[in-house]
Amino acid sequence: MGPWRFFLPRVGQYAIVLAVAISLNFFLPRLMPGSPLALLAGVEPSELTQEERQALISEAGLDQPMIVQYFRYWGNVLTFNFGKSFRMNEPIGELILDRLPWTLLITLTALLLSSLIGIALGVLAAWRRGRASDVASLNTMIALESTPSFWLGMLFVALFSVTLGWLPSYGAVTPGATLSPWETIVDVAAHAAMPILTLTILSVPGIFLTMRYSTLSVMGEDFIRTAQAKGLTNTQVLSRHVVRNAIVPVSTVIALRLGFAFGGTVVIETVFSYPGLGRLVFEAVSSRDYPVMQATFLVFTIAVLIANTLADLLYPRLDPRTRT
Amino acid sequence: MANFGQEGNITPHTYETATGYNLLGLVYDSLLQIDEDGVPQPWLAEELTISDDGLTYTMPIRDDAVWHDGEPLTAEDVAFSFDYYQNGPPGRFRTAVSAVESATADSDTVTVQLTQPAASFELRTLAEVPILPEHIWSSIPAPDEAPFDDSTNVGSGPYRLVESDPGTSYMFEMNPDYFAGTPTVEEIRVIQFANDAGAVAALRSGEVDMITRSVTPEQIPVLNSQEGLSVLEGPEYVTTLLVFDTQKEPFSNVAVRQAMDLATDRELLVSDVYLGAAIPGNAGWVHPESPFFDESVETTFDVDAANALLDDAGITDSDGDGVRELDGEPLEVELLAVSSNALRMRIAELLASQYAEIGMNIEVASLDQEAFDQLTWPEYDVALGRNYDMAVFGWSAPTQADIGQMGALVDSDPTLGNLNIMGYVSDEADALAAELRTESDPDARAAVADELQALIAEELPLITLLYPNGLYGHSPAAFDGWTSITGQGPINKLSFIPADARP
Repeated sequence: MGPWRFFLPRVGQYAIVLAVAISLNFFLPRLMPGSPLALLAGVEPSELTQEERQALISEAGLDQPMIVQYFRYWGNVLTFNFGKSFRMNEPIGELILDRLPWTLLITLTALLLSSLIGIALGVLAAWRRGRASDVASLNTMIALESTPSFWLGMLFVALFSVTLGWLPSYGAVTPGATLSPWETIVDVAAHAAMPILTLTILSVPGIFLTMRYSTLSVMGEDFIRTAQAKGLTNTQVLSRHVVRNAIVPVSTVIALRLGFAFGGTVVIETVFSYPGLGRLVFEAVSSRDYPVMQATFLVFTIAVLIANTLADLLYPRLDPRTRT
Repeated sequence: MANFGQEGNITPHTYETATGYNLLGLVYDSLLQIDEDGVPQPWLAEELTISDDGLTYTMPIRDDAVWHDGEPLTAEDVAFSFDYYQNGPPGRFRTAVSAVESATADSDTVTVQLTQPAASFELRTLAEVPILPEHIWSSIPAPDEAPFDDSTNVGSGPYRLVESDPGTSYMFEMNPDYFAGTPTVEEIRVIQFANDAGAVAALRSGEVDMITRSVTPEQIPVLNSQEGLSVLEGPEYVTTLLVFDTQKEPFSNVAVRQAMDLATDRELLVSDVYLGAAIPGNAGWVHPESPFFDESVETTFDVDAANALLDDAGITDSDGDGVRELDGEPLEVELLAVSSNALRMRIAELLASQYAEIGMNIEVASLDQEAFDQLTWPEYDVALGRNYDMAVFGWSAPTQADIGQMGALVDSDPTLGNLNIMGYVSDEADALAAELRTESDPDARAAVADELQALIAEELPLITLLYPNGLYGHSPAAFDGWTSITGQGPINKLSFIPADARP
């Protein structure tokens, strides 16, 4: 019964959150000033006659009262019919599926790497609390935390692409190249290397700081002193008692970041001209491509909700005290 | 080559930007082709005969032009294209053929009949509209929704677009049977970058050989300082303007507009913002490189004269707060600029300080492009009015390349004056715009253009600030055949065909 009693009330909560989010996804794009007419018309919308404008607007369903558009939108959401992009004239489902794997490749790899590095360094720093190495790593992390991502990305491009010529500066694959499967893997890895590196470096500090504080507070607990008094070695105390307890809050941070991983990273994908979801969203927002905005926002909303659920489910497993 | 910004599939029905249009010229041909001076010359049409009333255009079509799929290009294809665009979705080419009453093919000759004389017909229609293959498109009712693949990517130009992946890359392959000679480059790949910084980095790392769009002036020293790279700089018909709502105070007062024009330090804008890579604006709107430029139109910078002008007009600072009043209202206005365009933001700030010298209090506001458009040019339809005081604006090259567009800038009829975002109303301007549309005698037309320039310089429906130069970073070692068309840059088919085949 346990898991169900835990789960059922949350399903209700999530349903409400989802409904609100889906409504916001509809209204937010329409509340922005600006018009998708330029998109609908292609170039030089000024050349259109009055009738042509009307035809375009009504073809896109934008002449209907807002409330009609809203219910129509709900109908589409419930049937997973996202329609066509105003701009690309392509089904939105395909657009998103084209872009999502690239985004996940860089965000999930970076999340994995930054989690491992952040946790390891966090424990280490806490263990050596107050010593030079702790102070140095703390300061480094705080400095990194406040580094703008586009700046770091551009530095890497200048270093690895322009000066050293080691890595490609743009894209996800070499366009038009015919490669063997092995060469393809190398090619994809070379293109993803800088985005992953930048993302990893920028997300380590958050995990590091959480892990360090969490480790410090666990180390102050009585049971740790007991463990040390029992004569356990430092390594044993750390691995069996400290990390096991300290990792709980960090796991929440990581689970939440998992949700945001789907949103891609607009800035990183722009700096490296990486064809991910973040760039798709950015282009959709800047040209008021309502259908694409709605569909991608919906994907983000669902991803974040799933990540939340995951965190909720994970918590009792990691920390038996929160089991109900 | 590196491109940046947005772009769709590069077809006559789905391209999105001026760069897309330029690249389209590699794939398709038009009846006339503009030469390096921007003058239309015979191309698919071997010659052009115009009837005395200016309504009938007769053109024999050359017999050696072939579609990419091997079918011959015929007069029927030409007649079909006019018809197809007229019945197709709205867009630049449909507008371009709107004056055509009929286009008929008789063996190898096409006859086009107009409903009324159109002075810009050669430049705006015959030299622009891509001719389509009838055997491909006659069975496709909605061209803007047609799939892009080997069945539809058939043009007649020096290159065939074999791959089109908007947002990522495009691939152009040489057409060895091109009627004007074998193209000089075998393959052209265009990579889509998110922004100009990415494109510049890729040029510097040697991953691309050319950037298809003009880069910002601060990139000039960066690119020039690197061995093997250089910047192709040339005048371009792009404009940067100060526009205002001329139906609203204080801009409805011509003295205010004239004073602002006098107080505008254009040289400073060119040297400070564009680092010299622009040409100072001419008060009469027309670019000095244009064949229609009227040298007698003067552009003056004189702050004292501006102040004197306002004093004489009774627009004075009566309460001594440093800001003049017009009918009791202080000259306090908002100046809009697009936030993503750092150069225009800087221009807006400099203008605010320059106009402070003549007792105007200007607050600069930045907006994103769509929001900006919605205020200055709601729904891109000037009939819907406008909702701004003042804005730093710009028009693209076609508005200068065709002198007829100068009428569209100032005509008070919203259909004819579809670029008149200032809401400017003047009978004199309307009359000159009408003459410019229909007068086909070159000398008479130039005289009308001169009169309209003088009127714009006197009345100032807008203030022409400057004309940014085209700045194309490239690697001369990779390819050095770039041929610029005056005012319109080097991305055109002339760059890729043998020199002796150019019109």
